[in-house]
Amino acid sequence: MPKLKINGKDVEVPAGATIIQAYKASGQDICHYCWHPGLSVAGVCRLCMVQVEGIPKLQIACNTEAKDGMVVNNNSEMVKETVKWGLDFHLINHPLDCPICDQAGECGLQDQYMQFGAYDPEMAEQKVKKSKVVDLGPTVVLDSERCILCSRCTRFCDEVTKTSELGIFNRGDHSEIGIVEGKPLNNNYTLNTVDICPVGALTSKDFRFRQRVWYLKEADSICPGCSTGCNVKVHYNEEGLWRVKPRVNPDVNGHWMCDVGRNTYKYVNIKNRLLAGKVGRRDSWMEMSPNDATRTAGMRLKDVVDKHGPESVALVLTGQYTNEEYKDLLVYFVTGLKLKNIFHWVNNPEKLNDFDGLLFRGDRNPNTKGLEAALKLAGSKGRWEDLQAGLNGKKIKAVVVAGPEDQSVYPDMNEKVALFAQADNLVWFTACPSDALNGSGAETWQIPVKTHAEKAGTFTNFQGKEQKFPLATTIVPQALTLSEAAEVLAGKELNWALRPKSLGGAKNNYATTERGAL
Amino acid sequence: MFTLSAEGQELVKKELTRYETPYSAIIPALYRVQKENGWVPEDAVLHLSQLMNLPASHINEVLHFYTMFNKKPVGKLHIQVCTNVSCAMNGGRELADALCKRFNVKYDEVSADRKITISRVECLGSCDTAPMMQVNDRYLENLTPELAIKKITEMGG
Ligand code: SF4
Ligand code: SF4
Ligand code: FES
Ligand code: FES
Repeated sequence: MPKLKINGKDVEVPAGATIIQAYKASGQDICHYCWHPGLSVAGVCRLCMVQVEGIPKLQIACNTEAKDGMVVNNNSEMVKETVKWGLDFHLINHPLDCPICDQAGECGLQDQYMQFGAYDPEMAEQKVKKSKVVDLGPTVVLDSERCILCSRCTRFCDEVTKTSELGIFNRGDHSEIGIVEGKPLNNNYTLNTVDICPVGALTSKDFRFRQRVWYLKEADSICPGCSTGCNVKVHYNEEGLWRVKPRVNPDVNGHWMCDVGRNTYKYVNIKNRLLAGKVGRRDSWMEMSPNDATRTAGMRLKDVVDKHGPESVALVLTGQYTNEEYKDLLVYFVTGLKLKNIFHWVNNPEKLNDFDGLLFRGDRNPNTKGLEAALKLAGSKGRWEDLQAGLNGKKIKAVVVAGPEDQSVYPDMNEKVALFAQADNLVWFTACPSDALNGSGAETWQIPVKTHAEKAGTFTNFQGKEQKFPLATTIVPQALTLSEAAEVLAGKELNWALRPKSLGGAKNNYATTERGAL
Repeated sequence: MFTLSAEGQELVKKELTRYETPYSAIIPALYRVQKENGWVPEDAVLHLSQLMNLPASHINEVLHFYTMFNKKPVGKLHIQVCTNVSCAMNGGRELADALCKRFNVKYDEVSADRKITISRVECLGSCDTAPMMQVNDRYLENLTPELAIKKITEMGG
């Protein structure tokens, strides 16, 4: 393991590491655009200049191997001057777009300029004009003028997705990123190119022009999109969630996440949510607070158990809740109500083991493994045929369902509602409203629950890796978690003072929520 | 979609095996298209992409990097007049203008009879015989406008 000095600080790096990696390891800043830890080395931006003692010319840190005994710096006058000019050259053709650019606030050019540049520009040349709106595909838009040709996006498509949609066409200052006519940038990972683009050249159609990034807060989370459980950050404000971005975790998702996962913030937002409890059936529903709905449902369940015994109630769980919630709910049903009928609703059994080779899995539940473990612990045998037989034979009088948070991945929603509604009573925990539920013929309790972003908990991913995540924000404060629901079902009072409140002050600016064509 | 002749496809396949990486065969493949078609149409990129099993974007990169590939139709005689330093000092620009006038065609356009396209190009490496021009793949050197017009007419222009 080579040991070297970086700006006077000793660091040790693995054999074969480059100087830029040594910089990262030593926690010191180095100007760079084209290098990205998840991609191959391109060495095209020439900004990561360093001075290595004994070598007369400056070297690029991203493509120079760190050797034992090296003494390296990037704070000498020579390096500073070089980097300053490097930046100035990058900005020759870069438009003054910051006021209208989505990247502003998280832009490599802005950041590096403030840190390593801060010069008076000496370029008097006319800027080369290029296309401002290039439609690369269903998710990404390119502004050619802003591109600094770092080639991160093309390397991503060559090396990570191996789809090679993007290329650099033409030469010199006419060079532009582009696609070949009829071959759009269209794979399940396209939005990573927007993340790694150091400037505002690639923007997400979904996010562009919607929010200024410095007004958004971020919180760590786990993507609920599939059983991979990519580590993510959700970006939110008082109006709700606006986007999801990957968080590095070499054991799970590396630097990336998929486009399907990027959409998981949508159903979390208030206009897609079930806000009040609904009790009734088909055409007549009564609204009440989630707490009251849960309490009355709890009383009904207790009645049914008292009259017909614990075999008359069935609990159906989906792999969309946290380990903590499964535990609390099962404690109430198994120890409290002595239930044996506990079932695992698998939404897409044929696709369960599908895998795209990168991250995305056919099991569109974040916590199938966690649910399986909880069921095992609870001693559930849970054969689906028994549930069906029990319902057909009218032995099962009440079904309690912890329904999917994301209904779009449950193609059998209607079918299952019809099946469960054969019982006289149906208690359904759901984050979002559902037409199928509104048509239920049983006496039905629709009880709003929190989404993954609104609670802390643990998901166990397909590898069996337990991943904890914190509460990000609260969008529907009155909705319950399953743990809270378990308490209320059991007749306990929640401590309202301790429950999380929403950020408040939501403004409704339609221009940020209604999308135009691009 | 543009497709190469059977013989052209054979040649491209052979080129693919010649180099360390198949990417190196892109230039000869594009050249072949240009030879068969006079210029390289957009959809030839898709054809080559299938034929060579390489991403269309990377073939397009090569096509658009080199000005030697014609991205739009040219006349039967593609006359490239050098107007770089040595040739310019020896009347290259005037030569080019004279040719346009004589054959009644604007730069980079195809003449009405589809016979001629005239382009101004950078140094063709024949500075000692300036001014000079390249007609298809032939070099014509030490030119005067009269001489150039005579040669072009002889070649069928
Ligand atoms: S579009 Fe962005 S990522 Fe791609 S080359 Fe340009 S600056 Fe780099
Ligand atoms: S691969 Fe799965 S967990 Fe990862 S971002 Fe996509 S949907 Fe989410
Ligand atoms: S980061 Fe080293 S050359 Fe770009
Ligand atoms: S300048 Fe004309 S051939 Fe070199």
